[in-house]
Amino acid sequence: MSLAITSDQTDLRDTTRRFLAATTPITRVRETMTSPTAFDEVLWRQLTQDLGLPGLAVPEEDGGAGLSLQDLSYVAEECGRVLAPGPLISTCGLAVPLLLASGDEEARRTWLPRLVSGEIGTVAWQQLPSRDWKLRPSVVKAVPNPNSARRWYLTGELSPVLDGGVADILFVIADTDNGQAVVAVDGTEVGVTRNILPNFDQTRGLGRVSLHSAPGTLVGHVGQGAELLAATLDVAAVLLAAEMIGGAQACLDMSVAYAKVRHQFGRPIGSFQAIKHKCAEVLVDIEGARAAARYAAWCAVEDPATLPTAATVAKASAAKAFFRAAAENVQIHGGIGATWEHDAHLYLKRAQASQSMFGNVGADRRRLADLIGI
Amino acid sequence: MCVAWPEEYGGRGLTGVEVAIMNEEFARARVPRLTRGMGESLVGPAVIAHASKDQKSRILPPIINGEHVYCQGFSEPDAGSDLAGLRTRGDVVDGELIITGQKVWTSGYYEANWMFCLVRTDPNMSRHRGISYVLLPLEVEGHPNGVEFRPITRMTGKALFAETFLTEARAPLENVIGDLHQGWPVAMTTLGNERGGSATTQHVAFERQFWRLVEKVRTRGLHEDVRVREQLAWAYERIQVIKATGLGLVAELASGRPATSVANGSTSKVRWSEFQQQFLEIALELVGHEALVTGEDYALSEWQEEFLATRSHTIWGGTAEVQRNIIGERVLGLPKEPRPANQEGSR
Repeated sequence: MSLAITSDQTDLRDTTRRFLAATTPITRVRETMTSPTAFDEVLWRQLTQDLGLPGLAVPEEDGGAGLSLQDLSYVAEECGRVLAPGPLISTCGLAVPLLLASGDEEARRTWLPRLVSGEIGTVAWQQLPSRDWKLRPSVVKAVPNPNSARRWYLTGELSPVLDGGVADILFVIADTDNGQAVVAVDGTEVGVTRNILPNFDQTRGLGRVSLHSAPGTLVGHVGQGAELLAATLDVAAVLLAAEMIGGAQACLDMSVAYAKVRHQFGRPIGSFQAIKHKCAEVLVDIEGARAAARYAAWCAVEDPATLPTAATVAKASAAKAFFRAAAENVQIHGGIGATWEHDAHLYLKRAQASQSMFGNVGADRRRLADLIGI
Repeated sequence: MCVAWPEEYGGRGLTGVEVAIMNEEFARARVPRLTRGMGESLVGPAVIAHASKDQKSRILPPIINGEHVYCQGFSEPDAGSDLAGLRTRGDVVDGELIITGQKVWTSGYYEANWMFCLVRTDPNMSRHRGISYVLLPLEVEGHPNGVEFRPITRMTGKALFAETFLTEARAPLENVIGDLHQGWPVAMTTLGNERGGSATTQHVAFERQFWRLVEKVRTRGLHEDVRVREQLAWAYERIQVIKATGLGLVAELASGRPATSVANGSTSKVRWSEFQQQFLEIALELVGHEALVTGEDYALSEWQEEFLATRSHTIWGGTAEVQRNIIGERVLGLPKEPRPANQEGSR
């Protein structure tokens, strides 16, 4: 597969862009923000039925379209561009990759068709954003069902969990007496309480998941939890990077469009180097981050051994590029950019929240230092 | 030699992808690739794009066989970022250009026998017109041709540049590339090549330098310090981004999209030149007191030398600010800064 965009990928990207333009104008995003779930059920159903989004990167034998992470990245970039609210990262970036990495045929057969059909999936673990990238002992304890080796009972509380308030299927990283394990829990089971958290970035859903002897099914084997989570997070990082680049590009497009029409001192503000150079610097960052994200997606397909490094580079550079683009966009818009009415703050909040997802940039760099063996 | 030139001009007609692969292999094997310097990378492409058939057959072969070695005569004391403000005169007299004026930052002067330069051949035309691109021999039939160099010592203590004084230096009109007075587009071809440079391979050298710094840090026992690890990881991350943009560029070329644009050269140059400066700042911090002491006769360590040398990376070939103008105006389509009225008309 080429590192450059193919004609099929161009079609997929353009179809997605047209689809999102028709279904998800920013007014629609704002409506969803005021809903308690930060989740656009109608949009997710359309994305599932019309684009087959949750199944795009699921193998055909599991009921998906059999596309690659590269293909899916182009879709994520488009979703990021319009701030599409929905469980893209949780379902396509976490739940699906975890099942694919598990090598557990039964789990794949059980859960993938449900995810492909539009049920929301997520992975829930003890996150310590901004402190360390390494997996810590979980606050969720799992005890085995004496009558069934695959059935476990989970107790503990995890917060924040991406889309944890609305997820139909939760893959929980839990501690057992023999190491960490992934246990799949149906969100509607007795003993599962899902709460929606009021969210700083109102375009993305966060939740608190409380488990009280909640029944679940083992995915993979006991002791595999950390390994599966790490493999999953590499894929999630690539998808998140692509989504962030879409958001960054939208910010730059807004900045440039405004700088061409807004006049002060008798000239368009974009003719002043102070503004022009900001825009140029944002473009330099976006171009670099986009190249890194495309390279990481290519590694996922062609060079998996390099993926952990490439994914970490992609996520960190996309996070930096997005934040800068969003912050400069507010600045370039001046007074109006700092208002609730203008859309600039929606991107600023998305950028701020995204850069600390799955560990912040500092954590990414500490991980990178470990990975390359400094 | 000159492998990227078309075969009909003595090159190998290699595509951008092939050149990138070859450069990367040379870089990996740590064998410096023998090139014909600015003649190959800067003069050749401009000649191939703008010169007549006769000129090509006259000018290109001596570059390939190493007979003609070029230095650059673009910048002047009062025409740096504002290159079109250049004032060196070229008067047409009996089929020759008689050139008088001053150039500066002439790199590679000490091994050159030719200079490619920009001269003002019609002072009555507006700034960007009236400039000609001419190839000037430094000697004519064994006699000096009115070209005098005075070396400029850089802050590293070494002289790689010179000031150049031109006093009635002579070049035949056949050496004017593009039409007389129409040298500006030819110069832009040269500058585009200068900035695009080695976008696809420079990461190999950067990465090697990075690991040398890591070794240094290890010997100083600083590699377990969290802040140091984050600084080093930042550098590695930037190198990977530079590598990915290079690979992306190669992939674009391979899929048949247009070759490096001027804009692409500018974003790439901003990225690598500013990375190098920041990396060397970190390096000097991490090598500790070694940064403070030199050898005899101001002999600098790799880190000291590179730290000083990289300060000019954001100046030559168009300053970082000029690159940002190019990106803003040509890629993003932002409006140009209005020019003062007295620069618009004739000079």
